[in-house]
Amino acid sequence: MSLFSKKREPLPPKKNDEMPHSKLGMPYKEWMGMNEDRHKWRNRRWAFLVFINLLFVISFALDLSLLEGSLSGSRLLGFYLLDPYNSFQLLAISIKTEYLPYLTMNFVIGFFTIVIFYSIMGGRSFCSWVCPYHFLAEWAEKLHDYLVKKKKIKEHSFQRGLRYVFWAGFILLAFFTQRLVFETLNPVGILSRAMIYGPGLILLWVLVIIAFEIVYSKRFWCRYVCPIGATWSIIGNISPVAVKFELDKCGHCRKCQDVCLVPHELWFVTRGKATNEKHYVGSDCTRCGYCVDVCPGDALNFTVKGLDKIL
Amino acid sequence: MAKENKTNINRRQFLKSTAIAAASMAAIGAGVTYIQKYKRDENNAQELLRPPGAIDEDAFLYACIKCGLCVQICPVHAIKFAGINEDLAYGTPYINAREQACDFSCDSIQCAETCPTAALYFIQFKEAGLKAIEAVQQQGPEALKNINPFEVQVVAMKKVTHIGVAKLNEKTCLAVKGKGFSGTPRGENFNGVLRPQSIKNQDGSKIRKAYPLKEQKYEREICDLCVTECPIGEEAITLKKTTNPDGSVSYKPNVLEGCTGCGVCEMICPTEPASIVIEAGKTYEEVYS
Repeated sequence: MSLFSKKREPLPPKKNDEMPHSKLGMPYKEWMGMNEDRHKWRNRRWAFLVFINLLFVISFALDLSLLEGSLSGSRLLGFYLLDPYNSFQLLAISIKTEYLPYLTMNFVIGFFTIVIFYSIMGGRSFCSWVCPYHFLAEWAEKLHDYLVKKKKIKEHSFQRGLRYVFWAGFILLAFFTQRLVFETLNPVGILSRAMIYGPGLILLWVLVIIAFEIVYSKRFWCRYVCPIGATWSIIGNISPVAVKFELDKCGHCRKCQDVCLVPHELWFVTRGKATNEKHYVGSDCTRCGYCVDVCPGDALNFTVKGLDKIL
Repeated sequence: MAKENKTNINRRQFLKSTAIAAASMAAIGAGVTYIQKYKRDENNAQELLRPPGAIDEDAFLYACIKCGLCVQICPVHAIKFAGINEDLAYGTPYINAREQACDFSCDSIQCAETCPTAALYFIQFKEAGLKAIEAVQQQGPEALKNINPFEVQVVAMKKVTHIGVAKLNEKTCLAVKGKGFSGTPRGENFNGVLRPQSIKNQDGSKIRKAYPLKEQKYEREICDLCVTECPIGEEAITLKKTTNPDGSVSYKPNVLEGCTGCGVCEMICPTEPASIVIEAGKTYEEVYS
């Protein structure tokens, strides 16, 4: 749900003859199985994620100036990009010290480039399109779901608001300890550095988080802790690139919610919940495209807000 | 009513998780700070150096975002990331001079130039370089003709580097013992590279490329490798010759105030362990008075 949308009364639930399968004259079950094996966006996304991370590795291994550094801070063809959460922590530290005047122009460029880029791409698109931890966690999630289904373990969930507690907490921690405490724990940075510059013992920590996600709580780090993801959620709030939902094509099968990494963002697919004919998925969405792939009626699609009206 | 109850339970659960989160963050913060401080205090005579231009260690620990750009850009791969099992804060860059010293092969202190957060502070190098060029320009246009301004800038930038100061162990030094050296200083299996200072191209110009040290052969009657291979030159280290009352001559490498602590002497020293070691982050006065 976007921060700026007003609360409205839901539209009346669709009648049976308004459902997409009745319009096509198909039985509901058959209609539901329509795009079962479509993995277009997932394949694109995985390819891109591997490509970006490989670009880092290759740049270091072959000494090329393509994409240098790591996910904490990098240079793309000589152009700086900086992790905004690190930057926020540094700014918090600078309140107490006189460090701020020494920050370089490259810092300013890197910070604003990334903020502008992700405020256009929207939501947590960094997470599913770039983050190497996300890639691991996707497999951990599959394993977790399998174990829950087999009743080997129980699902534990927490409030999503916890992410903002950690977000503020780690900034305060940086302020009080004068250290970038979070960067020492950050599995994104750890994995990125390990891939590019060689592994270290610190990978055990990533293993601990993954194990915790598998046996205790689904997507624990990404959903309830990661302040980097929270930063992207805030930055990507008003982005033009989003997933658009069209009510008239929706058959309320909720398969999209089953595959979604952040199902609460698809609240409007439940029958009788949607308040508009069209909805845009909010800023927690990672733009992963699972729902776009799976939707039998193609009710969910990537779009650029504003542009879709012109075209 | 039921809904109200649910929100109450949710609120209580949220407050509980928040409390746990706050407590764990506080514990982690205290832990990380303690470990970083402990590691530094316990290893006062640590052998690992910070890259050129590193600001005061206390500030360095927060300024460094562990991005790896300095690691990436170093042409001789002198800069490495500290793991949690090393004697430094995790993820911060260091130089182990014995394995691979900074021999200024990049000619422009690139690691400091690339650092986006000024943990390696570049402005000092830039200013020193510009100042040196200005000084040459003030001598008039004639002076510029005979001098390569790039070279002037590079030399000036090198000289303001301060990584540490070299310290000699007179008990093991070959020169002090009056011994010579012939062969490859660190053996056939050593992987470090060095831009040689004492070996010149055939036309007498300086060699620009860094070569593996194992390919270099040296013949010295009195071992003075640390002196002749020093990238700074005689402002940093000289071989002091003393004639004793009984007529015999003794030698000793003498570290001077110009020493930048780059660590080339430590890397090339043929004795095991090295007879000349860099004292990380210390000033000349601290080591020699």
